[in-house]
Amino acid sequence: MTMSQRRSIIRQTITTPIILMLALLAIAALTYQFGSRPLNRTAVEMFINIMVVVGLYVFVGNSGLLSFGHISFMCLGAYMTAWLTIPPVMKSITLKGLPAWLLHTQLPMWAATPISGAFAALFALIVGRVIMRLSGIAASIATFGLLGVVNNVYSNWDSVTGGQGSIVGIPPTMTIWTGWLGAAFAIVIAYLYSISRSGLALRATRDEAVAASASGIDMVRERLIAFVVSAFIIGLAGAAYAHFLSIVNPGAFYLRTTFIALSMLVVGGMYSLSGAVTGVVVLSVLIELFRNLEKGVSLGGLSIALPNGVQEIAIGIITIAILMYLPTGLTRNREFSVGGWLLQRRFARPAQTALKELN
Amino acid sequence: MTAVLQIIFDALSLGSLYALGALGIALIFGVMRLVNFAHGDFIAFCVFAMLWPSVDAAAIVFAGQLPFYLLIPLLLLIGAALSMASELIVFRRFRNANPATMMIASFALGFVIRHLLLMLYSSRPKSITLWPSLGLPVEFLGAHIPMLQVVTIVITLAVLAVLVLFLKRTRYGLEMRAAAENFTMARMLGVRANAVILLAFAISGMLAAAIGLILATNSGTADIGMGANVMLIAFIATVIGGLGSVPGAVAAGFLIGAASVVFQATLPHDARVFRDAFVYGAVIVVLLVRPQGLFAPRSARQRV
Amino acid sequence: MTVLAVNDITVSYGRLTALRGVTLKIAEGEVLFVTGPNGAGKSTLLNAIAGVVPPASGTIAIRGADITGASPEAIARLGFSLVPEGRNVFGSLTIEENLKVGTGMRADRKKIASDLEAVYAEFPMLAARRNTPAGMLSGGQQQMLVIGRALMAAPRIMAIDEPSLGLAPKIIDQVYEILLRLRHQRKLTLLIVEQSSTRAMMTGGRMILIRGGRIVLEGEAAEMVRDERLSQAYFGFGDH
Repeated sequence: MTMSQRRSIIRQTITTPIILMLALLAIAALTYQFGSRPLNRTAVEMFINIMVVVGLYVFVGNSGLLSFGHISFMCLGAYMTAWLTIPPVMKSITLKGLPAWLLHTQLPMWAATPISGAFAALFALIVGRVIMRLSGIAASIATFGLLGVVNNVYSNWDSVTGGQGSIVGIPPTMTIWTGWLGAAFAIVIAYLYSISRSGLALRATRDEAVAASASGIDMVRERLIAFVVSAFIIGLAGAAYAHFLSIVNPGAFYLRTTFIALSMLVVGGMYSLSGAVTGVVVLSVLIELFRNLEKGVSLGGLSIALPNGVQEIAIGIITIAILMYLPTGLTRNREFSVGGWLLQRRFARPAQTALKELN
Repeated sequence: MTAVLQIIFDALSLGSLYALGALGIALIFGVMRLVNFAHGDFIAFCVFAMLWPSVDAAAIVFAGQLPFYLLIPLLLLIGAALSMASELIVFRRFRNANPATMMIASFALGFVIRHLLLMLYSSRPKSITLWPSLGLPVEFLGAHIPMLQVVTIVITLAVLAVLVLFLKRTRYGLEMRAAAENFTMARMLGVRANAVILLAFAISGMLAAAIGLILATNSGTADIGMGANVMLIAFIATVIGGLGSVPGAVAAGFLIGAASVVFQATLPHDARVFRDAFVYGAVIVVLLVRPQGLFAPRSARQRV
Repeated sequence: MTVLAVNDITVSYGRLTALRGVTLKIAEGEVLFVTGPNGAGKSTLLNAIAGVVPPASGTIAIRGADITGASPEAIARLGFSLVPEGRNVFGSLTIEENLKVGTGMRADRKKIASDLEAVYAEFPMLAARRNTPAGMLSGGQQQMLVIGRALMAAPRIMAIDEPSLGLAPKIIDQVYEILLRLRHQRKLTLLIVEQSSTRAMMTGGRMILIRGGRIVLEGEAAEMVRDERLSQAYFGFGDH
């Protein structure tokens, strides 16, 4: 791709990540200024979820393959952060199986986090070489297998991971600003990937598989790259999660989280970055809304509270309803852009240009 | 010798359970290309349908006190009704949606059902005693096999036999098989799409009830998450067996059950807890060797 | 008597318009050929009538009953049977099972058995292998099977998309001979998409030429072919 083509792509699409980051910044600022402490914590949780779902989008949205295994990268990242940041005193008691150099290390968050991301990415590189050769639903099932293996290993390798119980002691250093920073970083990486040669090529295989392979695009290689990049982002999310809750356990990185992340992505719009962010924000707002309704709301003297458990039922029903009427998600697979509320699929046109260029 | 016999029965009975689960998933997938992630929650629902809603740890069994010849048909009916209701209310509107959307919709449905059960029954597993005599061992060639295992295997074989007869000998079975192979072509020959799909859901629901009964009798508890494991394996078995092949799914279910038991028995002691990891690893290997599935039907196309 | 009336239909696949303003009428017992270059919309026309793709505008009626937007199974029950392009046999079902799929909607159970024997009499190579899975048959045998299968649905109107595709000339002759005999015996109305204008000319009947989603020429098949209007309208595709 020539420099001018690349510059034109950037010019056309750069407003999307900017809008997303600014919108999230506004949410962060408003919450910080006016929100209660619990609300701030919910906002941090939301930013972490954005990191996860954006990471998921990098792979699922660009390749068109559904992955059920990405939360295992969150597990890897979270536990690596635990290993690196828990004070050695505590580690020596609960995680005796760790190698000595790890036991005696304690890193601050800004050092441990990228290492955690890299660890997840490295694992994805090794595993992905094997899995990415598969296609369609076989690949999706293989990723399920990946989730199962990681969960099983982390739940049972007691000396290294503390087994099924939680391990405690991670410094709780997440604030709403670091949360926003994490989400913004994820968006930036996802954007840079989307406009890269590899991202464009991968989307070409998603949209027109036969034409793409005829153009000489190495589908396995491009998928692997997306797999690794997405693992990196989700690894970072895992680290953030660890610093947020200050405890980790394997159950948090299994089926429930997997499906909630996928739901947020599909509800928002599977094939778009804006969709990933939108899905998280909308569902998070709804969850928070219902959480408050369950606690009780006073309306003109009357106090109304929804019975416990209605929250999840309502969220589930709303998810089904949204998908019924908008099967391609809330953003209908388009991106937010200046010059129009929802414009044409901006990333799609560069893909066709890229195909011509690659010939 | 007795140890081997025990392993064989363990493998067969676990395999039977997974085979029944795979059947439920594969039937619906065959006609609708939908993976019903709510299936596990259908299973749990059927079990809890036997109890009065309460948050106590000791279940007040209401329907569960009925004699078996009333309880079993009742539960099968409940399973079929829940499943058909899901199709009528939810899945019907997703007929032409893309696979990811359908999957998430089915997951959301399961989510709703699970939390409904949570709201009514709390997350405490409830103890429930059904036919305790089935826990007693039966002597067979020197080995002690729990009666329930034998019953599970027998029931599964019976169910399979009935289903095969249904599919091969009845008009509705024929239409279902044709629809599973080429839905549009079947419709052009007058096969009613809605009826065939509803039928698939009904059978799938009955299978869920059967699995629920077996699980509840086996564990003596009613637990919200009890169907999740079977659902997961069933999903994997359907794909490994070859998408669109119902017999393939059943065979794969048996295979995974057998593999699980064999790994459990043959892995070195320290590695036993990682049995599931080995099973999943084996699944990935199978997919690498035969991505279209072990028993893919003749019409399986290799997609890019 | 008009058994099929298509009135000014437009059919689109998403943003692609495949048929535009197509109108035609077929009388009972008639043979109508549909020809045209690839991608012109011939299959779309048949699929629209069969109910697989609903028209965006316009109406379709069978014997006066409006079937626009009706489901394929409802249309099949009104006596319309489509044999789509490509010999879509149910591969894992046997020949006999394939034949029986379309009989579920028939009320006359006794006649089904005699119809089955009639089909076997018509296609002896199918009778010999009635318990073989259809996926194992040759191309010609599969073509016979899909026609037999459509016949077992007791249609009054039969539409066939490219019966000659990929078959040896001798087999094509056989297929046509059977189709025309059945038309005579059962007063069947035939709607055939056929690339070979020679075949259409030999068979007789009416013909319409679709290009770019519109009907650009219609008339008696024999006249059109002799007249060379056809090859002109095809823009050089010519006869085969």
